[in-house]
Amino acid sequence: MRAADGPALDRAVPFRAGGYAPQRVAWASAATLIGLLAFWQFCASMGWVSTSFASSPLLIIRALAALISSGELWGHLAASLQRLAIGWVIGTISGLLVGLALGLYTLARSPGMAVVSALFPIPKIALVPLFIIWFGIGEGSKIVTLAFGVFFPTVINTMAGVDGVPRGLIRMAQSFGLRPWSIITKIVLPGAMPAVLSGFRITTSTAIILLVAAEMIGADKGIGAFVLQAGNLYDTDNLLAGIVVLSVIGLCVSWVLGVLERALLRWR
Amino acid sequence: MMITRRMAMAGLGAGAAAVAARPARAAGPIRLGLLHTLSPAPFYLAQTRGYFSGVEFVFFEAAQPIAAAAVSGDIDVGVTALTGGFFSLAGRGTLKVIGGALHEQKGFDLTAVLVSPQAYAAGLTAMDKLPGHSFAITQYGSSFHYMIGRIADRAGFDLKSITLRPLQQIGNMLAAVKTGQVDATMAIASQARPLVASGEAKIIGWVGDWVPYQITALFTTAAMIEKRSDDLRAFCAAYQHGVADYRAALLTKGADSDAAVADIRKFIFASNPDGPRLIREGVGWYDEGAALDVADVKAQLAWFTEQNMVKGAINAADIIDTRFLPTR
Repeated sequence: MRAADGPALDRAVPFRAGGYAPQRVAWASAATLIGLLAFWQFCASMGWVSTSFASSPLLIIRALAALISSGELWGHLAASLQRLAIGWVIGTISGLLVGLALGLYTLARSPGMAVVSALFPIPKIALVPLFIIWFGIGEGSKIVTLAFGVFFPTVINTMAGVDGVPRGLIRMAQSFGLRPWSIITKIVLPGAMPAVLSGFRITTSTAIILLVAAEMIGADKGIGAFVLQAGNLYDTDNLLAGIVVLSVIGLCVSWVLGVLERALLRWR
Repeated sequence: MMITRRMAMAGLGAGAAAVAARPARAAGPIRLGLLHTLSPAPFYLAQTRGYFSGVEFVFFEAAQPIAAAAVSGDIDVGVTALTGGFFSLAGRGTLKVIGGALHEQKGFDLTAVLVSPQAYAAGLTAMDKLPGHSFAITQYGSSFHYMIGRIADRAGFDLKSITLRPLQQIGNMLAAVKTGQVDATMAIASQARPLVASGEAKIIGWVGDWVPYQITALFTTAAMIEKRSDDLRAFCAAYQHGVADYRAALLTKGADSDAAVADIRKFIFASNPDGPRLIREGVGWYDEGAALDVADVKAQLAWFTEQNMVKGAINAADIIDTRFLPTR
């Protein structure tokens, strides 16, 4: 303390080192969502917001119940989940391979990055008409749209993950005489895994977002097609019910990824 | 905490305000929403020849947003296709159909049913052979969906026996038929005839010969009728004048159509050297006096309701107002 030229301390200093460390409060997240829904329903019930233009939680639940009881929902879900799974797996596997190559080899890095940087910002929705010419109006163009959207973020995340692996570990393995394949499978891949897995969270969401674009053309089944159809008919209840289903798919995928993260990253 | 709550309230308030329809303006120009195609040609004539006074054209690229724009208060009057979406919006009490526009007429070739050469060679040569084939439309609830549904009724087959392919855009529908990705679709004469001439598609029939159909109609908002009915009457009279000129020049055999074509060209095909021919070949039928085919509008509403594309029981009388223009 600079007692000589500063004011003298004549009282105890209170403890001020609290806060700035957000804690997780699970009930608060649930309560916020439920509170917002209740507020929306309240506004609708009071007639403040016209339900003919904005629907209400109860009307959406009723629309969902009707979709489930008529069995229509399962047909749409099956079609969409199949497209999501195939498109995401193709985009992810090819993205992982390319990302790994870009992360490891000088020969691949600059040319590959040039192509990825040039193609990544293209809005995939704008390419849908081209995909129709190339892959037809069947499943092909839909799966390619999803795979294309998933591919680029996967490449970039994988490459960043590989870059983030401590080079000291790789050098040590080299000096112990490990073969390149062992270095990749035992050091590079596990080291890049956290970045790759957090990339999965982005790419699964991207795939769900692109589902609506992919199902714009020629789809008679699918959640995206259903949402579009409801929009065309200004059927706000079903439109929002479809969006709730998309959101639930997102939540489920996110939960699965959380489980996967805990299992794969136990070594940390 | 206080700030976030206030911000949330402000956001919700803004959302609610955006959702509530704005009232019609008391004065100022009448804003007419229309497609930038050849189909509203009588409106172009009424505008260039000065029959309209204080009418502002607001052009749209697709039919459906025109109805939504009227609900949101961005236009006062519109001419658009009577689709499932239109009826859904109208049923909420804000839109009223007040007059007729484009109509499918028996013996007047407007919309053709096109099939791919492969499908034609394989035996798809008539409407009643459509079951089991794929058929491209723009969207569910669109005019194309309605037309194929009514043709199915007339030809005596179940619409479910056709695989409908929603392709969003007319260009996609034509491309899909040309390449054989779908077996059949519909197109207006000016688009269908060149495809037949080049051997890329075959015509198996015309919609007008199968179903009489009020394709597009003039509509306005309930607020306009309530607050500006005199302006609306003047608008309708000017529109009828445009329709009379249009019928005299373009729907009458042997009439001199050069002046009308030149006036229409100020709005469409202006820079296309082939414009006059495209206009003459593409004109559609308008009934005398811009009459509304009330019976057909009721039939359309019944069909969309029966197909479960329009929810709830909408009373046709609530969405039609025949005080401004004659009925067919």
